[in-house]
Amino acid sequence: MMKEEIFLGNGAIALGLLEAGCQLITSYPGTPSSEILPEIIRLKKLQGLNTYVEWSTNEKVALDNAFAAAITGKRACCCMKQVGLNVAADSLMSAAYLGTKGGFVIISADDPGPHSSQTEQDTRFMARIAKVPVLDPSDPGEAREMAKLAFEISEKFGIPVILRPAIRVCHARQSLKWGELKNNEAKALFEKNPQRWAATPRFRLILHRELNQKLRDIATLFEELSSVNFHDMKEGSQYPLGIICGGVPYAVVRDILSEERRDDIPVLKLGAPYPFPGALADQFMERCRKVLVLEETDTLIEYLLGNRVKVMGRLSGHVPQEGELVPEAIAKTINRALQECGTKPLDVPDTGDVGGLLKDISLPVRKPTLCPGCPHRASFFSIRKGRAKAIFTSDIGCYTLGLNLGSVDTCLDMGAAITMASGFYHAYKQDGVKQPIVATIGDSTFFHSGTAGLLNAVYNGARFVLVILDNQITAMTGMQPTPGLGIKADGSKGVAIPLERVVKGCGIEFLEVVDPYDLKAMSQALKRASAHTFDPAGGIAVVIARHPCVIAYRKKSIPNPVKPLVTDDCVSCGFCMERFECPALFRDEKVGHTMINEVLCSGCAVCVGVCPKGAIVIAGEDK
Amino acid sequence: MNTVNIVLCGLGGQGILFMTKILAEYALKKGIPVLGAETHGMAQRGGSVVSHLRLGEARSSLVPAGKAGFLIALDPWEAYRGLSFLAEGALLCVNSPDGDFPNDAVKTYMTTHGVKCFTADAGKIAGRMGTPLSTNLALLGFFSSLPDISPFSHEGLGETIGLVSPDRFREVNLKVFEAGFEEGKRL
Repeated sequence: MMKEEIFLGNGAIALGLLEAGCQLITSYPGTPSSEILPEIIRLKKLQGLNTYVEWSTNEKVALDNAFAAAITGKRACCCMKQVGLNVAADSLMSAAYLGTKGGFVIISADDPGPHSSQTEQDTRFMARIAKVPVLDPSDPGEAREMAKLAFEISEKFGIPVILRPAIRVCHARQSLKWGELKNNEAKALFEKNPQRWAATPRFRLILHRELNQKLRDIATLFEELSSVNFHDMKEGSQYPLGIICGGVPYAVVRDILSEERRDDIPVLKLGAPYPFPGALADQFMERCRKVLVLEETDTLIEYLLGNRVKVMGRLSGHVPQEGELVPEAIAKTINRALQECGTKPLDVPDTGDVGGLLKDISLPVRKPTLCPGCPHRASFFSIRKGRAKAIFTSDIGCYTLGLNLGSVDTCLDMGAAITMASGFYHAYKQDGVKQPIVATIGDSTFFHSGTAGLLNAVYNGARFVLVILDNQITAMTGMQPTPGLGIKADGSKGVAIPLERVVKGCGIEFLEVVDPYDLKAMSQALKRASAHTFDPAGGIAVVIARHPCVIAYRKKSIPNPVKPLVTDDCVSCGFCMERFECPALFRDEKVGHTMINEVLCSGCAVCVGVCPKGAIVIAGEDK
Repeated sequence: MNTVNIVLCGLGGQGILFMTKILAEYALKKGIPVLGAETHGMAQRGGSVVSHLRLGEARSSLVPAGKAGFLIALDPWEAYRGLSFLAEGALLCVNSPDGDFPNDAVKTYMTTHGVKCFTADAGKIAGRMGTPLSTNLALLGFFSSLPDISPFSHEGLGETIGLVSPDRFREVNLKVFEAGFEEGKRL
């Protein structure tokens, strides 16, 4: 029986994957892709499916696992965010040559904005580099259909297919009708063929030739695939301006044009932009004097269009080169194009006068910050204390926000806290300078790509303090379990891999485990660690700062919450707000000094040890 | 039906997503197509959170500037930040603990654009019921008391809260929602 439910875009994708009979799904969490796997698990449990799911340790691992399953003839998928696909790029490029037997779909979610990423890179270009087809949905419902289409194309042509939803698809919500899901009964059967699956360069040349033929065949398909590549031109008409778009911008353009009743502006939608349906695009362009290209996030379609003279887009300066193409930006861009074509502009509301109104109000700057009670805050406070001259390399996760506490100087990519620490060490060592370096990395990020860097640093004799911020969860992306915990994606028991054993296995001699809530113990551990890095017989020192995430494990993190108060001994020096930066601390103008917001306060009481004047006390306790 | 555009804004942790869920589930029950957009990830950690909801025939999940019929703000500063979403004649519902929203310039702006503005100290209402963290439900209750909130209704929203609340919070959620409603009725 069909029922209607409001799905998160990532849930709609999960639904599409299961409707397609996807049997094996791997993922590493990353905004905006993180909810696909949990939604798979929810639906699988609801319908009693036997789908295999895993949080893999990183995206390359996820891709390899799914690829292997796909070449047994099963349908498999791996999900990640766009920068995760960089990690998996090595696998992707090779998998494109080898091809697949069963359907193999790679989902890489893009983040125009960027809202929660290091870059605004466009996955469609990765598809172009790897020479695999890519589908670009405009809304959750279409993402669901494209998940199924991706499997069909993948199986028909024996090629991996990328589905690229952008953040406004992943984190949109849409009501969708759905019904019963069934297990796919296809059985694993790996047919040995070393010339293909273990191809040497000589055979790779042949595989490359085959891949190019597949792409030509798929391009022919995409010319005719009117469910995703289509336009609404009227027979025989000529137009001053046409719009070519795909993905989220298509949905926005459609809304604007139908609201404004502008059927004088034809739209070519390219939901399957690579391999490029060039003939379809040429036909469309022939009948327009100018075309405006609206695509996210970069210029894939624009590069691939034949007659660039007619094109208005990012390369011609008509479309913003950075940031998300929000509806206002798109309306403005269309209006500019219409004006240049001498055509009637859109009647969009002018909200320009709001800007003037707000100029006189000093709106508070809302920078993201660590949660009240976050154990990372306690760690960063201790790390910063007495080590002002150190270089603080850090990494990707909630703890990047340690930059608010002055304890994060660098954040490059997953695992770079360690690799950059060793790089800094060698750069200074060459000049005979003993530069203190403290690296911070989260537990999940350490499992993702910390070990290779740590092995390298130990092997090559670097010296630095490494603090592994072990909150026993992947917090930033929505609380996914880590290998350290030994709980699998679906909540069942896996094998726990203690960080200590991994660290020791990387050749580390100095290892201490400490609870960062205990500021004194943490400071002392860091002091010993630092001494070890400068000791001629020493080396890299690792401190595991272990305390459960306050959001994921409220009770375990703060079993006995207390009520800290600020006494009149407070001299309003601002030290606690600058160095500890707890959102519950604020300057109360009525009282004339710092106070604690009771609603926000988690009751962790770490701030008691932070105040240099001892002005923060626990209610009912003597000072 | 014309598309009903709603923007909900506030700070991470104030329960914007839950408020959005209630409105969305209400619309779903009435058979209205629902489309919305949410904030996740880094932006959620204590920053400004904006949630978009579009009921009816819409393809893109974001409410365009100048097109929101309703703006519900859990924080007065975020209400200022969200002003550009307001359509002509829109309804603005703001949690204003100090009662000083809006300033004079914004008041004039709203008069010019026919925007009706209603404020309440929703945090105080929730605090009075012993659950300061339910400010979102107090404000939603207050919203449900306002005139011209079609397609929403007080009874319908209350019913939806009953349906979507986890068991252990159902009673208190409804209590706070009703308290917000009563506060609005008194005005």
